[in-house]
Amino acid sequence: MTSVLWFQGGACSGNTMSFLNAEEPNVVDLIVDFGLEVLWHPSLGLELGNNAQKLFWDCARGERPLDVFVFEGTVMNGPNGTGRYDMFADRPMKDWVTDLANAASIVVAIGDCACWGGIPAADPNPTDSTGLQFHKRAKGGFLGADWRSKSGLPIINIPGCPAHPDWITQIIVALATGRAGDIALDDLHRPQTFFKTFTQTGCTRVQFFEYKQATMNFGEGTRTGCLFYEFGCRGPMTHSPCNRILWNRQSSKTRAGMPCLGCTEPEFPFFDLRKGTVFKTQKVSGVIPKEIPEGSDHLTYMAHASAARIAAPQWSKEDMFVV
Amino acid sequence: MTSVDLFVSPLGRVEGDLDVRVTITDGVVTSAWTEAAMFRGFEMILKGKDPQAGLIVTPRICGICGGSHLYKSCYALDTAWKTYVPPNATLVRNIAQACETLQSIPRYFYALFAVDLTNKNYAKSKLYDEAVRRFAPYVGTSYQSGVVLSNKPVEVYAIFGGQWPHSSFMVPGGVMSAPGLADVTRATAILNHWKDNWLEKQWLGCSIDRWMQIRTWDDMMAWVEENEAQYNSDCGFFIRYALDVGLHKYGAGVGNYLATGTYFEPSLYENPTVEGRNAALINRSGVYANGQFSEFDQARVSEDVTHSFYEGNRPLHPWEGETRPIDPEVGRKQGKYSWAKSPRYEVPDMGRVPLEVGPLARRVAAAAPGAAAHQDDDPLFLDMIQKLGPSVFVRQMARMHEGPKYFTWVMDWLARLELKESFYAKPVEPLSGKGFGSTEAARGALSDWIVLEDGKIENYQVVTPTAWNIGPRDSLEVRGPIEEALVGSPIVDQEDPVELGHVARSFDSCLVCTVHAYDGKTGRELSKFVVNGMV
Ligand code: SF4
Ligand code: SF4
Repeated sequence: MTSVLWFQGGACSGNTMSFLNAEEPNVVDLIVDFGLEVLWHPSLGLELGNNAQKLFWDCARGERPLDVFVFEGTVMNGPNGTGRYDMFADRPMKDWVTDLANAASIVVAIGDCACWGGIPAADPNPTDSTGLQFHKRAKGGFLGADWRSKSGLPIINIPGCPAHPDWITQIIVALATGRAGDIALDDLHRPQTFFKTFTQTGCTRVQFFEYKQATMNFGEGTRTGCLFYEFGCRGPMTHSPCNRILWNRQSSKTRAGMPCLGCTEPEFPFFDLRKGTVFKTQKVSGVIPKEIPEGSDHLTYMAHASAARIAAPQWSKEDMFVV
Repeated sequence: MTSVDLFVSPLGRVEGDLDVRVTITDGVVTSAWTEAAMFRGFEMILKGKDPQAGLIVTPRICGICGGSHLYKSCYALDTAWKTYVPPNATLVRNIAQACETLQSIPRYFYALFAVDLTNKNYAKSKLYDEAVRRFAPYVGTSYQSGVVLSNKPVEVYAIFGGQWPHSSFMVPGGVMSAPGLADVTRATAILNHWKDNWLEKQWLGCSIDRWMQIRTWDDMMAWVEENEAQYNSDCGFFIRYALDVGLHKYGAGVGNYLATGTYFEPSLYENPTVEGRNAALINRSGVYANGQFSEFDQARVSEDVTHSFYEGNRPLHPWEGETRPIDPEVGRKQGKYSWAKSPRYEVPDMGRVPLEVGPLARRVAAAAPGAAAHQDDDPLFLDMIQKLGPSVFVRQMARMHEGPKYFTWVMDWLARLELKESFYAKPVEPLSGKGFGSTEAARGALSDWIVLEDGKIENYQVVTPTAWNIGPRDSLEVRGPIEEALVGSPIVDQEDPVELGHVARSFDSCLVCTVHAYDGKTGRELSKFVVNGMV
């Protein structure tokens, strides 16, 4: 039995909703087949009320063993460091977080808010929100850069807005089946098994990307081309398996013609949503994309781009995802 | 006369945490205060940002109705930018939005609401054992399939929008995707699977067509008795059980309703405007107050912050709206007690009043006389509130009644997509303007008011169904809808006031929950209560 306690701070419940879409395993399987003991969850609680309150305190005081503490949502410090923007069970949520994180063997941050602060922490961050162990890309966050859970691990970050249900369930299954040691984390504490590849890995538009053929319009315009050149797709710069492990078993943003927003990276929402940055590629001198794929430089990129355009076959300029 | 104050924290956790204070006199709730316990400041984040920022930010206000946030924020921009929206795009938006609600219906019913039907309070009912068998969390026979299959309708959302929750694929001028034949056939097959395996087989026990013939409360009762499949379906069982345990006897609320309507007839809304909105709606808007119908007019909406943790002292229309939070500790001293504002509506001859929003409000609006040919015309729930009065039960049935209805509509919209026609028309982007966009999220009216200046967001105000329903008292000390609905609830067992959970949850504003009771006067904890039969 692996005991799990799941709390929501400054959250929209999107990660919980995403989690409920899981199918292999689904939520019921997780509990029934994998022996997960969900001590409490805001929408799925088994033990509640009287027992739950006692349980929060029992866990917080170390009187009841807590294997995994899952946190969804930001930790709110406002106003003025009091945490009173987010009260839970008559106590600032941030105080529960301190106690429970220190009591648990492993702590998992689910979704951008818990990992980096997410949208609530976007400029001007009215609630003084932050992530559990990062604030945007800076290590530290609410618990501090050197914080370790009882098992010696830092916060395991499963980012995304929301996180994909499989990223959540697979990590929880790994923990529940004693594979914590196999989880290799990157420097942002994300499990590498999911976050080493890019959104672009597996994108159906990647050949258009190679031949520098742009999608020029939304709607039927997205039946061909790549979303990088005009619509600010962050697929080449974003670590996520969105096109390897599809969403809702069906699709992904880029497959459906929507540019990747880079929501697994700490900078999301990019450029703080300033004027002219939403669904638009930021360019140098009006033509060259400001940001280019990781590991490339602008000169090489330019040389590659002109060669690719010359090499582009006719089909790469035509409607590919036809009716 | 014995009177006791209970402080219930938390009562539920969908959109932030909800705490409730009630006074119980002789076993009946005589006063109530709803307190939203969390603030995130999204409207402050949007100020000064790109006009399209709402398409990314507002879905993240609520992961449960994020698609609804996207839908209305897109129409707010369509009206501000005066875009042209091709009919195909309107159909895709309708399909996606309705699929989110189809997902919510079983997920909400089994995971959040029906769990309480297994509360030991009802052990004396002869139907209790059956309720436990079906609705117990995780292991209940209906719970499992209902919750697991609820992910199917949003697979269709993903086909058009890439993913659910949190896509931003609706943009002014249309949608980003352009479905091909395989997308449409796949969507149709997924929805059919869901209908066969949950909606008809498990929930109704009959065909959608048979259910849709029900036009009155008497029809509904006759339907239950018509055959064994209907009698024993989850719906038939729920009707019998609810009446047996008395869910039709309390939770009435303010009895006045607002629907802002949703889904557009494509040909009537190719050029979205605030003025042209009502006539183009399929799921109608409307206000029903004091037994009278009137047209919905966004200009009559205002928000009051007298008892909310914000600065300001007069009701403001959302285009002029302000969001300036204050420390709750300071606010409490001024008599404020919630993060929710109090939306009010100026009803002709009644003044500014609270209105209930949600499925029941939509169903009442659908009963107004004068529906156009493309509009929903459905007398059932007006008949039910006239014969039975509103209640936890009627509110619940209104929500469930929308499953078969929306399913039929989605299938029709899918069939009408013209795959070779356009899904998007590039808009010009004016630097300034004002927009209003609204929809019906699963749990009620959800609207954005946007003001653009200099190519940036000058003001952005979101009024959610949760605010309409759980909002606190206003400057006239008039209670909000859930506060009002709690009043009159009989509390059978003060150690376990499950009725409070039923009432609040029948508005879908909170989840499975814990309840703590404090002596309101001394602050001493009297006892801790559980609103769930599993404990
Ligand atoms: S659409 Fe985005 S993810 Fe796909 S190939 Fe282009 S840049 Fe990469
Ligand atoms: S495609 Fe990009 S924006 Fe979409 S979920 Fe994946 S990482 Fe996030």
